[in-house]
Amino acid sequence: MDSVNPAKKALSLLFLIAGVALLGWSLAMDCMGGGALYQYRGAVLIFGVIAFFAGLYLFPTLTHHRDIVNVIFLFPLLFTFGVTVIIPLLLGIFYSMTDWTGIRYTQFVGLANYAQMFHEVSFLWSLLITVLFVVFNMVLVNLVGFALALLCTSRLKGVGFFRAAYFLPNLIGGIVLGYVWQFVFNNVLVKVTGASLLTKTPSAFAAIIVVYIWQYAGYIMLIYVNGLVTVPGDVLEAAAIDGANAFTTLLRIKIPMIASTITICTFLTLTSAFKQFDVNMALTNGTGSVMDFMGQYLSNGTQMLALNIYNTAISKNSYALGQAKAVLFFIILACVSLVQVRISNSKEVEL
Amino acid sequence: MKRWLSLLLAAVLTLSLAACGGGSPAPAGNDASENAESAADNSGGAPSANSIRLVNGKIEVDAALKKLAAMYKEETGVDVSIESMGGGIDIQGTLKGYYQAGNMPDIFVNGGASDFANWAGLCADMSGEAWAADTDAAYINDDGTVGFPYTVEAIGLAYNADILEKAGVDPSTLTSPAAYELAFATIDGMKDELGLTAVVGYYTEPVNLYWSTGNHLFGNYEDAGLDRDDTTYFDMLNNGGQLDVDRFTDFAKFVALLQQYADQSMMISGTYDQQILNFASGKYAFVTQGSWIGATMTTDDKDAYAAAGNFKVGMAPYAFQDGIDTILTNAPSWWAVYKDGNVDAAKAFLQWLTTDAAQEVLVMEAGFISPFNSSSYVATDPFAQTIVDYQNAGKTSGWHWLGNKEGLAQNYTGQVFNDYAQGALDTDRFVQVMQQVCATAYGG
Repeated sequence: MDSVNPAKKALSLLFLIAGVALLGWSLAMDCMGGGALYQYRGAVLIFGVIAFFAGLYLFPTLTHHRDIVNVIFLFPLLFTFGVTVIIPLLLGIFYSMTDWTGIRYTQFVGLANYAQMFHEVSFLWSLLITVLFVVFNMVLVNLVGFALALLCTSRLKGVGFFRAAYFLPNLIGGIVLGYVWQFVFNNVLVKVTGASLLTKTPSAFAAIIVVYIWQYAGYIMLIYVNGLVTVPGDVLEAAAIDGANAFTTLLRIKIPMIASTITICTFLTLTSAFKQFDVNMALTNGTGSVMDFMGQYLSNGTQMLALNIYNTAISKNSYALGQAKAVLFFIILACVSLVQVRISNSKEVEL
Repeated sequence: MKRWLSLLLAAVLTLSLAACGGGSPAPAGNDASENAESAADNSGGAPSANSIRLVNGKIEVDAALKKLAAMYKEETGVDVSIESMGGGIDIQGTLKGYYQAGNMPDIFVNGGASDFANWAGLCADMSGEAWAADTDAAYINDDGTVGFPYTVEAIGLAYNADILEKAGVDPSTLTSPAAYELAFATIDGMKDELGLTAVVGYYTEPVNLYWSTGNHLFGNYEDAGLDRDDTTYFDMLNNGGQLDVDRFTDFAKFVALLQQYADQSMMISGTYDQQILNFASGKYAFVTQGSWIGATMTTDDKDAYAAAGNFKVGMAPYAFQDGIDTILTNAPSWWAVYKDGNVDAAKAFLQWLTTDAAQEVLVMEAGFISPFNSSSYVATDPFAQTIVDYQNAGKTSGWHWLGNKEGLAQNYTGQVFNDYAQGALDTDRFVQVMQQVCATAYGG
């Protein structure tokens, strides 16, 4: 069976060699510049790739044919993943160790940016309030979302309408939402509150939490609704026959039955609150003063981590420092996600 | 077999890495080969000798520029495509993206020293152009004359001339804090007869209006009353963010005076639109904005402005010390030519913009105040005449806040002005805090 057809082998080799040659040529054109066919380098590259894979496919082997097909099918995804995720990640880590300005860099500075960011009091403040924001929201969004879900699975009239209504804010973009609420706080609620809530740091922080809950609770509600409707009717019926009232049913039946949904929602709110950016930017853009934090006056009272990174890079034009902060941001989020995956997996085994 | 597979994968990834590495810009270290590459990039892309692309930072004049582009196409056959950005878009960030993607426009907007510093070595020198001798507003740095000025703007305390006249206040006397105190008190006493809500429209909202306080008001501390090329206080700031305590304390006292007579309900969280609309409706005698509000008053707010009688306006100096009698004028931003772009065509287009036909559109339609001596057009903008008068009298200072540390106003000083207005800081503490945030901004 292992006999090899020499003509097929020759054809395959021809394709492989042509493919590599075309690839090499197009890359050379791109790097060196010039050449009469310079503007066709993209097409040459594509033909090179096709020829290479055609050669691979035609390669006369029985034992490896399956693997070759697998690779060919996987390649587009792997390539895209590499180009859009892996390479930018590596480049980002590299840039965080240089004095990159967004246009070019002149020297490698090692871990200086990382050291600098921990000496920046305003950054520590941003870290602190981001953690606070996450804790508040993990609790509040889930409470509100769960309460709404209970309402929306009860036998009230017009439940379908309410479900849609509560979910609607989630469909509005965060920037638009931020500006709408900024108007509300600065022009409408100001009649009640005297001074706009957005002018003092604590009240502005509370305002961001309120807007965030308004935006996100409907989404979490929808997940809880899905969880609650999967609680089997016979279990609930049995509980009712045993004389359990609504509160006991909720505590002893419904909540344990949707434990996995609660885990999912907790982590969803955790990661999304941690990444809070658009509402923060549109509503306060991080303003708000802190009179004395670690001996300093701070002017970024409500600036959360993502916005701090953005402002460091864009508005203060320190791309490398911003990139270093972004790497830290990535590490924190990656840890959270790993924990989440661990916990969800163990729960699945239990069920 | 497994090993073979992973080897192949590694090879493919390396190849793709190489492919991507080839296209991305490299450090200044190997300039020569990179320049060759980006030049080649351009020859490979769409632009031909007969088209140029301009990134404009003033979205409000988009229509006028497109009209100019059409005129130029008719006259010379060269295609000029206008790409307008504005309304809070981060233009420099977008330009950096264009640069990374090898998609740089031939002419792009730069806002000041820090912007030009970013593009050092990448802007073409235009000192040989005829227009360069015709203006003193061009941007000049180590690379030569790199910035083409297209308009002049002025920062002063804008006032409603009709109201001042009715109140018997002569704006030409407003050159000392004492004179201001007297004038404010006089007008404040006649608020009801004059139909005023407040004497001064002073707004400090830090989220969207930080630039008014943090850049323009603060810019008066840096430049008011000084000669055009005097950079004493700007240099101090650049030297670790130092402030001159005496001068800044006087400045702080003047700001306190503005706060005292400001529209209290709007001072903390009012918006730019409300500020301009209220001034255009004749509800404030003064407003802490510069000449650019003229365009808004005669377009968006033209009904309110007409209802208030299309009153005459003028500009008074921010006289926080005795004898300050200048307003700040400068080009707010410049157009630079990308060195590896279509340089000759771009230069020709900019030169053409200074001709009579083009100046007419720029001044009469875009409302620009021509920085070119040879141009004889005066815009219909309410503030145009004031600026021309100050320029003719030699009573202008330069402005250097464009060269302040990036993000100084947005991330630091804007909030401090707001805290001062809220009363969270008194004058001494305001000065101290301002010293601290400037030191932080320049130190970090």
